Amino acid sequence: MSDTDTGDQRIFLRKASGLIRTAGGLDTFIYNLGLVSVGLGIASIMLYGPAYYPGGSLVWSIILAGGAMALIAFGFITWTVTLPRSGGIYVFGSRILPPSIALTISLVEITAWLFYCAIAAYWIVLLGISPALTFVGYLTENEGLVNAGAWVVEPWPLFIIGSAILTLSGIILASGMRFYLLVQKIVFSVAIILTILLIVVLLQGSNEEFVTNFNSIMGPILGIESPYQAVIDSARENGWLWDGETDSKQTWLVSNWPFLPLVGAAFSIAIGGEIKSVERSQTYGMLGAVFCATVIWVIVAVLCNSVFGYEFLGSAGYNLLEGVGVQVDPTITLQAGVLTLSPLICILVSLGFIFWMWMWIPGMHTFGVRAIVAWSFDRVAPEAWGRISPKRHTPVVAIVFTMFVNIFFMYLFVFSEFFSNIVILIEAAVLAWSIVLGAGIFFPYMRPHIYEKSPIAKRKILGLPMMTVACALGFIASQFYFWTLWSDPVAAGHDPQQLMIVAGVFVIGFAFYFAMKMLRKSQGIDVTLAFKEIPIE
Amino acid sequence: MFWKKKGKDGGGDALTIFFASDLHGSTVCFKKFVNAAKFYGANVLVMGGDSTGKAVLPIAKQTDGTYLAFELGSTVTLSTKAEVDEYSERSSNKGFYPIVVTEDEFQELKTDPDKQHQLFKRLVVDRVAEWCDYAGQKLKDTGIPLITSPGNDDFFEIDDVLSNAPCVHYHEMEVTEVNGYEMLHCGGSTITPWDTEREYSEEEYKTKFDELAAKVTNMERCIYNVHVPPYGTVLDTCPMLDKDLKVVFEMGNPVSQNAGSKSLTDSIEKHQPLLGIHGHIHEGRGKINIGRTVCVNPGSVYPEGILQGALITVKGSKVKGVNLTQG
Repeated sequence: MSDTDTGDQRIFLRKASGLIRTAGGLDTFIYNLGLVSVGLGIASIMLYGPAYYPGGSLVWSIILAGGAMALIAFGFITWTVTLPRSGGIYVFGSRILPPSIALTISLVEITAWLFYCAIAAYWIVLLGISPALTFVGYLTENEGLVNAGAWVVEPWPLFIIGSAILTLSGIILASGMRFYLLVQKIVFSVAIILTILLIVVLLQGSNEEFVTNFNSIMGPILGIESPYQAVIDSARENGWLWDGETDSKQTWLVSNWPFLPLVGAAFSIAIGGEIKSVERSQTYGMLGAVFCATVIWVIVAVLCNSVFGYEFLGSAGYNLLEGVGVQVDPTITLQAGVLTLSPLICILVSLGFIFWMWMWIPGMHTFGVRAIVAWSFDRVAPEAWGRISPKRHTPVVAIVFTMFVNIFFMYLFVFSEFFSNIVILIEAAVLAWSIVLGAGIFFPYMRPHIYEKSPIAKRKILGLPMMTVACALGFIASQFYFWTLWSDPVAAGHDPQQLMIVAGVFVIGFAFYFAMKMLRKSQGIDVTLAFKEIPIE
Repeated sequence: MFWKKKGKDGGGDALTIFFASDLHGSTVCFKKFVNAAKFYGANVLVMGGDSTGKAVLPIAKQTDGTYLAFELGSTVTLSTKAEVDEYSERSSNKGFYPIVVTEDEFQELKTDPDKQHQLFKRLVVDRVAEWCDYAGQKLKDTGIPLITSPGNDDFFEIDDVLSNAPCVHYHEMEVTEVNGYEMLHCGGSTITPWDTEREYSEEEYKTKFDELAAKVTNMERCIYNVHVPPYGTVLDTCPMLDKDLKVVFEMGNPVSQNAGSKSLTDSIEKHQPLLGIHGHIHEGRGKINIGRTVCVNPGSVYPEGILQGALITVKGSKVKGVNLTQG
């Protein structure tokens, strides 16, 4: 034991064990950026953006989504600084909202994230594997590969490959944190390198070169002399309308697509208990991830528009998604291969996209697992769900359970036309976030004894507690995106039948809580105590 | 329920234990701990080791009447007595030891490690004494015992204070009887990189566990109150440190290692006690089974003023429920 002064600091420390916080700002940034899934953002923005929102400025939509997500992150930063513990919105909600609501919004949130695990697996096949097989088949004149590219997006192969990806995620998570981190480290590093490769490829290309190459490859395959122009002309004939001007409404609506992956930038709220210098680290980690992803997307969008042509991307996407006109695969991975006439570039860029999309799956899967284990600890879920494998030290029951939920969602997504057309659960998740951010506005007033311990307790903005202002801004931003999603039938919308799904998840959450509460009561356990602060008499 | 066989748990009245550990000087956590008995309806309070904190905060009075102190990584100026009192309370709740000194005294302490050391011990002993007084007031006439054992960070000087306090049952390296159950008390920890107060090698622990286990008459109703958790479990998983005692990261996540006791794991596997209650690893919050033995580490987030605990109900030779709490 030795007592030491820490230089100019007015504190005397002794040597004592017990680390509490470990992850720093850079670590938090990497964690969040991985969960933003930069590649998934590029793929979805470039596929759906020009196709369904003609005239929507991709650059401004990305900036709009980035700005809104930064405000949401600001609100969550004040939450996680005030309650720096792992568990995400479940922890925050349980400190101010009734336990039934806290559990329900947590269930709604993880239902959405698990659903998006299935969507990511679906996109890996649709936007990664299939285009790569198809284009390599074109370039090498291998009909088998071309057919394989079409075959993998048939329902059963798609379901089987997607389920295999989701199962792989479960196996990796169940194998232990160390193995999971090793896999993610490799995947993240390769994805970054391959994204840089994509940017370099685009920087070196030109629209003239792309048009020439595209026509020379696709002309013989489609039996058309100028397929590039034919794609555009047929899209216009079939209803894709763009007058060449920027449309502000379309810009607003298309921002749903960059916003969707950007939600990952706030996922470090799930590991708040493991982050040191929580205010600085979470600020750098969340806002850094938002900024970095936004900048990369803006660069790629500008380059893609310049090289491939906005009109062509929109037309090709529209034709494919609507099943009309001259159909070619519009994915960026394939077009990068066309630009370079290189099967290798096509494969590498596709791998980059696949790896980015993969980053989402175990990351979101873990989010769900952590929440379920937390419920189990609080006895609002079956005790078995929190059981830890003595061999692997992982919550295997929760991992396997959520893995089957993922596969079930995959099944619904592939085989049900109803579910294949929705990503409406994102609305439920944004609404859940909105509720917690809204509650944060009042937290300093309703829980002053907790808030006064927060490092931001004395900071004011316009005479109001910083948390109140930050959460108000986050609430407005999350409400803005709730209504943006509501107004966009492509990204989410408000089809009454689909809204029933959102309502159904909320109802299931409430029913689950009250069923568990009654069960525990019969066992002599008051689950509400797990949510309450012990009063000091 | 009529189909449930009766008597499999060995009978006897249920015992509800509230267990928390690693409060590290946090006064608000200790007060919550004492009040937890009534709040959660516990019959017995068990405080794992590491009651003592890690830092002294000198509040240095300046010639102009203000005070210089340290908070959140920087020097702060306190202008009034009320501000000093508020700062002191806030710091105490986080587990620090604030003390008002003159600037000259601060400068002298700064350059004299021995004086710092003595000051540390005095403040730690004073804090433990205050806690004992508080527990005495609150638990008097309730019949609820407060049982505690030392952790590796605890100065030996607190032993006398705890041993002489009414309502506090301080036990170390012994087996005692608690409401019809046997409790095996073993504090300290395995060797740490910080060279703390009470550390034992695995060989020493093996000897101690062998000796203590031999005193237990019925392992089916025995509770291991052991500060260090069993090795190779989620209860002892903590961040890996490099040679400079900095956490090793991979992909933004801390790399994990195990820091528990292999001798304890062996003892639990061999003797299969009813329950193991542990602390030491703040990040190791969880509940596991080693054979029939249920082992629990409630973890600790004491700087936030939030008390993490475990509400455990045992009946006969069964653990009927474990509820991890955050209050």
